[in-house]
Amino acid sequence: MTVLENVTKNPAASELWNPERWTFEGGVWWLKRGEHDEAESVRDVANAMNALGARFITITAYQLPGAEGFRLEYHWDLEGRLLGFGFNIAGSANENAKIESIFDLIEAADWIEREVHEGFGIDFTGREYEPLLLREGDTPGVNLRDAAPAKPAAGAAVQEAKQ
Amino acid sequence: MSYEIPMGPYHPALEEPYKLDMICVGETVQDAKLHIGFNFRGIEHLAETRNYIQVIALMERVCGICSFIHTLTLCQAMEELAGVTPPPRAQYIRVVMGELERLHSHVLWAGIASKLMGFKTMFMTCFELREKVMDVLQAISGNRVNYSMNRIGGVNRDVENPLALVEMVNELERAMVRTVVPIFTTSSTARSRCAGIGVLTHDKAISCGVVGPLARASGVIQDLRKAAPYAAYSEMEFDVPVEQAGDVRARLFVRALEIMESCRILRQALTGMPHGEINIGEAKLNFRTGTATSRVEAPRGEVMYSVSWKEGSRNPSRVHVRTPTFVNMPSVRWMVQGARLADTPLIQASVDPCYSCTDR
Repeated sequence: MTVLENVTKNPAASELWNPERWTFEGGVWWLKRGEHDEAESVRDVANAMNALGARFITITAYQLPGAEGFRLEYHWDLEGRLLGFGFNIAGSANENAKIESIFDLIEAADWIEREVHEGFGIDFTGREYEPLLLREGDTPGVNLRDAAPAKPAAGAAVQEAKQ
Repeated sequence: MSYEIPMGPYHPALEEPYKLDMICVGETVQDAKLHIGFNFRGIEHLAETRNYIQVIALMERVCGICSFIHTLTLCQAMEELAGVTPPPRAQYIRVVMGELERLHSHVLWAGIASKLMGFKTMFMTCFELREKVMDVLQAISGNRVNYSMNRIGGVNRDVENPLALVEMVNELERAMVRTVVPIFTTSSTARSRCAGIGVLTHDKAISCGVVGPLARASGVIQDLRKAAPYAAYSEMEFDVPVEQAGDVRARLFVRALEIMESCRILRQALTGMPHGEINIGEAKLNFRTGTATSRVEAPRGEVMYSVSWKEGSRNPSRVHVRTPTFVNMPSVRWMVQGARLADTPLIQASVDPCYSCTDR
């Protein structure tokens, strides 16, 4: 039985895992774009992945051109098959983007959510942060985002002084 | 009464900076908090300013131990974007280099673990063995750390006489069977310092999503070389060692057994290496617009690269690196809970952490 057949036979996720909704592109099995972006939240996907016993791998964040916001791609491993789920979220240089955290559902998401928060200034709602890569006074979003967010973190004066 | 002991960022056991704040009652660790980022270099941002040749040299410097693996993962993703496939001989050379890198990483780790156990003679033995592996890596690539072997569409240098390297592999295996494996598995020093120490349960290993030998030492059967073969691994026969105990000793066993399996893979790759080209030549590469993702089983576990490109661009628009230590290290918090303070350097080292990779 293939992994996808396995997936479709799992009652916990039978609605989500229709094989026709999948496509293989760039080394990843994707739920076809446009189908799930609005239909399911990232927490629904995380719950379904937990039910299947998939291993969480990482989140890759991309800043989209202009004011289109950001794209977050979540990756899980299911029996050697790399699964991907993309979520577009609004946000710009002057507005912090937000998405629900899955840290309470998937312990392994802790560090990567903190890293994306620091690299792009994206807020994962429903959790608290502690610094991961940045040192005290540094501003989230300065590493990989084109423009720094409007709301600097507490103690950002140190960073401003550096600039 | 509890008190906090900070360990690091200048670490007593490892030569990389990170910090562990441990809450202790007496000599027993109750909880710990990990701090990283002391070696943050912004490599993912720098990658967006490099062209497709320069970015390989940059990503080779993410890690000083598994530098080949990082370029392999990057090149595999970029080959997907360019629509090219390396020739069969190049795929075999990638297996040879990948396994030699695993050997030198595991033997290096065994040496450091021995030193932390107070087993200095074993430390010297392991480093002597590692030197032999490094000599072979140097003979093949001309380099000892950053090998410059990978390119998009193959490798830069050939293994001119593969059969001549088989004897080195046999000699290394004999040394492992004669000294390292028996000492690690039967010596009372190793047992007393490692057994029952720093346990990561199977359930916790799953929930933390740990990878590589750390996962396999907690009973999680997981190895990309088997589950999602790349290069020429689908043509190799080997076993994936798994232990159930989840302690430092199990991690020691798994790595020792993996050294033997690496020797087995190396023998197959060296004796069965096909003739032919080692790369696709100097043809112009055209990268399509989109993202490609590649995963490779590094010595410490799964490495994943996502590379995003816009057609006609000189540089990648995004390179994201997920390294094994990044997912393995948070589990240290659970391993040190209830441990003796004196055991914590060995417990941390048993993860085989790499902060150069983690911080990037």
